[in-house]
Amino acid sequence: MEYAVETFSLTKVFSDWWGRAKVYAVDNLDLQIRHNEVFGLLGPNGSGKTTTLKMLLGLLHPTKGKALLLGGDGADPKINARIGFLPEESYLYRYLSARETLDFYGRIFRLPAKLRKMRIEALLDMVGLKAVANRAVGTFSKGMARRIGLAQALINDPDLLILDEPTTGLDPIGTRQIKDLILKLAERGKTILLCSHLLADVEDVCDRIAILYGGKIQTQGRVRELLQQTNKRQITTDAVSDATVERIKQLVQNENGECVVTSPMDKLESFFIRTVTAAQQQAQPTSGAVSTTKIGGFLTEEEPAESILDKLVSAPVSARSSETRPATEEVAAAASSGSGPDEELLGKLTRPTEPPQPTPVAPEPEKVETEPVDPHAFDQEHVRENILDKLTGRSRAAGEDEQETGKSQAGGPGDA
Amino acid sequence: MRSIWAVAVNTIKQALRMKVAIVFMVLLFVLLPVLGASATGDETLKGRLQTFVSYGLSLTSFLLCLLTIIVSIYSLTSDIEQRQIYTVITKPIRRFQLLLGKLLGVLVLNVVLLGLFSAIIYVFAIYTPAFVKPPELELTEANNEFLTARAALTVPQVDVTDEVKARYEELKKLDRLPPGYTYEQTITELTKQAQLAKRAAGVGDVLVWEFDNVKPLAESMFIRFKYDVFPNPPDSQVFGRWLAGDWQFIKYGERPKTPIYDQVHKHAARTFQEIEFPAEVVPEDGHLAVAFVNVPLNNTTVIFPPDGLEVLYKADTFGGNFVRAVFLILFRLIFLACLGIFASTFLSFPVAILFCLVVFFTASFSSFVIDSFSLLSKDVGAVYSYTLEWIVKLLPQFDTYNPTKFIVPARLVNWSLLAKCAVFMVCIKAFLVFVLGLVVFSCREIARITV
Repeated sequence: MEYAVETFSLTKVFSDWWGRAKVYAVDNLDLQIRHNEVFGLLGPNGSGKTTTLKMLLGLLHPTKGKALLLGGDGADPKINARIGFLPEESYLYRYLSARETLDFYGRIFRLPAKLRKMRIEALLDMVGLKAVANRAVGTFSKGMARRIGLAQALINDPDLLILDEPTTGLDPIGTRQIKDLILKLAERGKTILLCSHLLADVEDVCDRIAILYGGKIQTQGRVRELLQQTNKRQITTDAVSDATVERIKQLVQNENGECVVTSPMDKLESFFIRTVTAAQQQAQPTSGAVSTTKIGGFLTEEEPAESILDKLVSAPVSARSSETRPATEEVAAAASSGSGPDEELLGKLTRPTEPPQPTPVAPEPEKVETEPVDPHAFDQEHVRENILDKLTGRSRAAGEDEQETGKSQAGGPGDA
Repeated sequence: MRSIWAVAVNTIKQALRMKVAIVFMVLLFVLLPVLGASATGDETLKGRLQTFVSYGLSLTSFLLCLLTIIVSIYSLTSDIEQRQIYTVITKPIRRFQLLLGKLLGVLVLNVVLLGLFSAIIYVFAIYTPAFVKPPELELTEANNEFLTARAALTVPQVDVTDEVKARYEELKKLDRLPPGYTYEQTITELTKQAQLAKRAAGVGDVLVWEFDNVKPLAESMFIRFKYDVFPNPPDSQVFGRWLAGDWQFIKYGERPKTPIYDQVHKHAARTFQEIEFPAEVVPEDGHLAVAFVNVPLNNTTVIFPPDGLEVLYKADTFGGNFVRAVFLILFRLIFLACLGIFASTFLSFPVAILFCLVVFFTASFSSFVIDSFSLLSKDVGAVYSYTLEWIVKLLPQFDTYNPTKFIVPARLVNWSLLAKCAVFMVCIKAFLVFVLGLVVFSCREIARITV
């Protein structure tokens, strides 16, 4: 079982009523996704991405070829128990409340009652729907439904997560959060198959991508190798004096190189997150989802003896959340800021494939990670704000890097 | 099992929260009491009870049948059309478990609703006498002829083969066979005549029926009969002297050990009538004879139709009988639930509804349908008996097992009838239909084709 997902000349032909082949939705697809890889399946509308996923999961029968998921058939309950799936839209039972929805899926996974309850609360907390948990899902906005959809995909703590357009309909904070989650899950050894045409999102999180067109793979490979511009260098500095800049320019010109110097722009994503966080801090009321940077406790716990661990940590959820928050902060920090400024931007974002660092490198003076976490609500808000500040601060640094290369690179962290 | 139950609970929640079940429940909650207040029948207590219970049970049965069809179909087709099934079927649940869960949900809903509404009908029926305060006579009549469960002794068709053959030979010898008739047609005609003769009594004639193994539980027994008369008397009234008791006395005039019932009654022709007689006339060996004497007052020939005479006796309580009758309804609901789920595995909601309604109404008039098919297809007998007949016979027979048919005349729904219904309708037909649904559902592609 070398690959988490493997397909062998997978083909899906949609034929008309007479059995004549009409459309090759997927055409001889050979896909290999390694374990612990974040794989992005890209392509324009109608390129066969969703059809491929449906065949992997046994929702459609392949016309030809075969697909293996975690070494087995995608329709086998034993395999299904280890898979989380988020379809292209959150198809939910409109008459169930958010909590009931998760409970229903938890029951189908035969999760024991205690564990189920614990995970439901943790997930509701994570997707920021705790306040509306008892409202019928039919009354939710698209983004809120998306959050519940994501929560149901995670309730079994899957080994393989298949996400079809996970960020559609989500606000930037939700998008950022899903990206963080994906990175964190990858760090924990999960495999993630991501299907999207939002290139920025894919670029931020994926290790490898394949681009589909007309049901065929047009190109595939490591994101870094595909995108790195080896003929350019990027230097990021603090606000140095004009004289220094001139000297650097001189140096570069001496080597016959071109040099562009600008001040970095703030990313819209960072700006947005800052604004909303400020509003949240003033406790302005909202009927929508409350964005948090929390990631479900059970998802971020370390691997061994999961079920025992789940039993041991069946303490009240609020306590658990505050326990795990520092870990979450680490993710956030690591995801967007962990590497030094001389490293290529994409390298930072695809960090999870690199050996995990013991503690995040926090180049800024305020050491949020080590702050004692007070369970008091206000302090929680305070801590969260710090994380976000930090997050946005680092993003700015990343943006700076990018600006200096002359805006030639597409995307940045969370260029949603 | 736990995932099956989760699906079942979800199905019930869906039925309740999508207000489908609520509509039907409200309808029944309103209609049953209205029916209880307005149903008066022929103004006697018995008539009132008969009307209320028969309409009440039929209404409950009909509405629950519709509800079952709608819920069982909606549950699966909406999952497929609104694609919630994508997230369900990719979880560790097999497709047959999903269908079983849906079925279980529909059945639980049905059992609860059927129990609730039949309990309401039962309570209404039991307490109506106390509420209406009828005269003593009506109360006794209602108790004896409605609030009870009576077994029926029927008269088998008399075997007239030998007689007919002899008659045929005789006619042949006399050369008086009807011209243009084949042998079969002549025999059929002669058999009809001979059987009619056995059931007809000219003025002054006596007809005797014998019954074995009569073991009454109560003090009263009943002769239930219908007169056909020829020629019709001016007021359509028929006089009859009825005797019941020891067969040796009635047939041979031997001295009886038990009392003999002997009364003259006047009854209207062409409707079913009942005569009550004391159970003590039944001799110890349980061999009872009933005789009808066409008294000269009539001046007309009295004919009993083929199902025109039965002896009824109390064999169980009303309550026990009512419960068994309700089970008959439950069996039909089980069949419809299986049918609905089968239909929704390959049809869209409106088509599946139409399909199930056609089956439901055909099954409700199944004997009529079967009869008319056999009549119409006389000329294509072979084709019919190998194709359509099987399909028609695969349908359940709701009318054969119609509970009101038993409850209204206080007829015993015996255990063998119940078992027969369970075996044919549930164990064979419903099961086959459900298994077919499983096969279809396991083979089909769940996802809609989108490119």
